[in-house]
Amino acid sequence: MAKVVVVGAGFAGHTAALYLGAKLGKQHEVTVISNRDVFAYIPSWVWVGVGHMAPEKTIFKLKPVYDRMGIKFIHAAVKEVHPDAGDQFVVGERAETGEAVRVEYDYLVIAPGPKLNFEGTPGLGPDGGGFTNSICSLPHAVQTRDNYLAAIERMKKGEKLKMVIGTGHPGATCQGAAFEYIINVHKDLVKQGVRQNAELLWLSNEAAVGDFGVRGIQVNKNGKLLSSQEFIEAVFKDYGIQWQVQTGVTKVEDGLIHWENYAGEQGTTPFDFSMLIPQFKGQPMKYIGKDGGDVSAKVVNAAGFVLVDGIYGLSYDVLKRNPDAWPSAYQNPNYANIFAAGIAFAPPGPISVPHTNKNGLAISAAPPRTGMVSGIIGRVVALNIVDLITKGRMTHYERMSEMVAACVASMGDSLWDGSAVTIVMHPVVPDEKRFPNESGRDLFVNHMEMGVAGAWMKFMLHYTFMWKFKALPGWKIIPE
Amino acid sequence: MEITPKDKFWMNFKLYQLWRFIVLNLKILKAVDHSKRS
Repeated sequence: MAKVVVVGAGFAGHTAALYLGAKLGKQHEVTVISNRDVFAYIPSWVWVGVGHMAPEKTIFKLKPVYDRMGIKFIHAAVKEVHPDAGDQFVVGERAETGEAVRVEYDYLVIAPGPKLNFEGTPGLGPDGGGFTNSICSLPHAVQTRDNYLAAIERMKKGEKLKMVIGTGHPGATCQGAAFEYIINVHKDLVKQGVRQNAELLWLSNEAAVGDFGVRGIQVNKNGKLLSSQEFIEAVFKDYGIQWQVQTGVTKVEDGLIHWENYAGEQGTTPFDFSMLIPQFKGQPMKYIGKDGGDVSAKVVNAAGFVLVDGIYGLSYDVLKRNPDAWPSAYQNPNYANIFAAGIAFAPPGPISVPHTNKNGLAISAAPPRTGMVSGIIGRVVALNIVDLITKGRMTHYERMSEMVAACVASMGDSLWDGSAVTIVMHPVVPDEKRFPNESGRDLFVNHMEMGVAGAWMKFMLHYTFMWKFKALPGWKIIPE
Repeated sequence: MEITPKDKFWMNFKLYQLWRFIVLNLKILKAVDHSKRS
């Protein structure tokens, strides 16, 4: 009987767990260890953050789902991984009691999601004396909602407020979520009749508007090439949203954001309300060898992301020309029974063009691993572990430089007059060898459009994904 | 590029957007099918 342990129960970890549970059945033991006892549909926290969705609609308890699938669930935060052969186990801290729990494994999937590194920018975030809001956790999204509604009340009384939304660190990712938030704020302010009292600013570390950490996207529109930069700039202009890109936030004080830009200029931007996405890092787990020594260097990189079967250390220009440097099996090269999925794996480099300014500050959008990408990787990892247990060899591989991804970015949740931009891109990481055009992507597949159909898509995604992740009948048919 | 009143009309014209909803779902399912073969 093989023991498979999955750390984390987000898009990647939970997807992996469901496939492992379904394929391995009761012959083998699948255990999920997560510091949250709920599955969280994170994309809908944008709507929680503007008061358009009740928080409880975005979560459900994990244990009943896992009980049905024959999967053991431990509500604990994993603190240590002991990966050396002969005695492989993880040590967690139970959420309710703080008691240590030791779980042995034959195969380990590390998928705990990001550590939200608010500390990487002094003054960032809602906790620990910070001054900005966040939609990166449910408690944060609820707090953001309350602060946003309080700002609405001030604007209804005639106050004019400046709202700054975007990224809060020179190396942040997840620009898509921040974009959804600023647009939903705009739409809500219009509906509340206070838009004229709000100055909205998009502040981000992207090289250009519409970059989203993926070097932007180009599509064929009526025989001409249309870029996401042109498209999103047009949206911002239409909505009266100002923008400042190529900017890394370095510090936040009460009502004041400090930043540095590509040109090395340093400046400040005042604000009354701000939502800035923090830098993501790997979860701070210890990796301990048989002799008690630190073996982290064999498992994770300096930021705590798990090293996998990618080629690391390449310069951006070399990486750009080598799409096969991206991992395909998400397997650690030193411990063949350790896999990483979702945000937890270390990408070989950025997708967007990095920049270091004359002061030595690296302002570089980190590569996003969206819900679909995370789910696909979770599935690939699970199926490979099943292969190893049942056949002795892996048969599933998919690089981000081969993956198709679809993203639906909400631009107002109303099913009557809401909107969303629906993007399909192939591949996620450009491959200039296979697609020798400026964007390195398949212009026959790439797609970008905006309309109320997108709002219906986004609504449908919420409910179908909740169905899928509850492992209800037909869950496997619903795509990641 | 500019978002024109004509663009806004088509973005919210329900019958046309119902068609786009179907097309978008088919595009995404086709993309997913490619992925599931890996």
